[in-house]
Amino acid sequence: MEQLLEILEDIQPDVDYNTCEDLVDGHILDSLSIISLVAELEDEFDITIPAVEIIPANFNSAKAMWNMIERLQEEE
Amino acid sequence: MQLSTLFLGGRYDTMTSYFSIAFLVIFLPVCLILYSLLPQKLRKYFLLVASYGFFWLVSGKLVIYLLLTTLSIHYFGLWLDRIHRARNEAVKGVEKAERKEIKKRFLKQSRWVLAFAIVLHIGVLLTLKYSPFFTTNLNAVFTMLKLPLQLQVPSYLMPIGISFFTLQAVSYLIDVYRETIPADDNIFRLGLFMSFFPQIVEGPICRYDQTAQQLWEVKGIEYHNLSLGLQRVAFGLMKKLVIADRLNPLVKEVFANYADYEGGVIALASLCYTIQLYMDFSGTMDAVMGIGQIFGVSMPENFKRPFFSKTISEFWMRWHISLGAWFKDYIFYPVTMSKPMKKLTTAARKKLGNHFGPLLAGAVALFLVWLCNGLWHGAGWNYIFFGMYHFGFILLGNIAAPAVKWLHRKCHINPEWFGYRVFQIIRTGILVVIGEMFFRASTLQAGFAMLRQMVTNFRFATLNGDLLKQMGVDWKDMGIVLVTILIIFAISVWNEKGVIVREALAKKPVVVRWAVLYALILFIVIFGAYGAGYIPVDPIYANF
Repeated sequence: MEQLLEILEDIQPDVDYNTCEDLVDGHILDSLSIISLVAELEDEFDITIPAVEIIPANFNSAKAMWNMIERLQEEE
Repeated sequence: MQLSTLFLGGRYDTMTSYFSIAFLVIFLPVCLILYSLLPQKLRKYFLLVASYGFFWLVSGKLVIYLLLTTLSIHYFGLWLDRIHRARNEAVKGVEKAERKEIKKRFLKQSRWVLAFAIVLHIGVLLTLKYSPFFTTNLNAVFTMLKLPLQLQVPSYLMPIGISFFTLQAVSYLIDVYRETIPADDNIFRLGLFMSFFPQIVEGPICRYDQTAQQLWEVKGIEYHNLSLGLQRVAFGLMKKLVIADRLNPLVKEVFANYADYEGGVIALASLCYTIQLYMDFSGTMDAVMGIGQIFGVSMPENFKRPFFSKTISEFWMRWHISLGAWFKDYIFYPVTMSKPMKKLTTAARKKLGNHFGPLLAGAVALFLVWLCNGLWHGAGWNYIFFGMYHFGFILLGNIAAPAVKWLHRKCHINPEWFGYRVFQIIRTGILVVIGEMFFRASTLQAGFAMLRQMVTNFRFATLNGDLLKQMGVDWKDMGIVLVTILIIFAISVWNEKGVIVREALAKKPVVVRWAVLYALILFIVIFGAYGAGYIPVDPIYANF
């Protein structure tokens, strides 16, 4: 989780990722940030994030992203 | 209009409009009565038969395209499903490393099947819709190169709604491939999802998981759904008959003879066309949603008050939403998430930073999206230009975003200030109107000539009662249009503020609800542009 928070801080600073739950719906992360984020997450966690996973529910909070990462690691 | 033409399949093409008398007074009521009389278990089959009947009445024997598309995606879906099940069997009890290899092998297999299916379906669409355009341009290139070669320009009859149902078919296949939905083993359910008559002509482009099961579980007509559905159909009818059709003569005349008019009048005609397009398409969507609601089926909304948008990018999140969502899910993200693009993003981010780094991959994907968007609307250079025009503004908006933020800070502009938001809305509106002018222009050259007139000769000196008469309208027409737009604007402002007018109305006593419906019908009867002297606008999006 620490690594994920670091990546998020790097892509879009000044957001409280521990509490924020509408990163996509609240337009804090736009499609360009998502493109960056996916590339970073794949490198860092050795996973493949398919296009089908790019839905707001998976990116609205750090916790949701972490759940997706764990799930994809399991499925690999 | 002769009733006998109803029974000559394909001859009754006026029914492509859900506002035609044939549809509203004959087809729909007959359907609703039969549907209500039938036992529950037969209703879904009746809807399927009615949908194919509707398609046959409109497109005749071309109904074969819809049938073959449905059969094809049914079998391709089952083929993909078989591969998925074989993979699941193969990985049972296998070590992680080997599991990965097995999955890769099956993924490759399913990818080939999907690619074959997409090439087949998009190939049919390309052949029917675009081969005359490509051949004509190829011939022009041959002439330019002085080659003694000319290809015969093909001409095909196109079934109604092919651009809509092909995208729906492809989305079904990709979703099965991605395993977000199971392959449907029930050909009738899939057939109804593909053919449901209220949406087959102009969409919305539905996803399988949005409507297939709902359609398969339709129940009897409920009073609540009937009253709200009819209200929505009437609201759509008002948009179409009172505004879109009333503006039709003016739009037709100015776009056909633009050289005869000064820039201000061309700008007015472009604005009228944008309003006409919106009223025609969103009015049709109101009818589609309303009819769907009568059957108890809810489809995704296609419009969300687009003229309140502050940027072009936002405009496209509010206009023809189901098409934009289709391009986002099946082109934009798959392209940006492809391996080479991800590599590009990672490398570019290190050099160009967090904003401009991902913009490179984003721009490539956006370009493809807008090329496809332009071409989807029609095979012509003006449509391609229309796509590139919007691509340019969306890209520019992204590139300039940091500079605009900086400017806001420097000039102490609060982007949330009402006056600034109004400025943004008007600016976006002007850009949209210019884009729609190119969209409607007979050729790309005509579009540029009209723009030149608008810029160099922006005057209203000749605009008077006589000129309006020449354009087929009068001050009374313009007044009626203006008042109706103000009514729709007031409802939109309420909706924009979060007051859902239809829901608020639904809570009122039954007398109020029916009074509103009758008032709406009376308004349409008195102010609708129909009868002698009026030519209704053809359903614009049905041709795409």
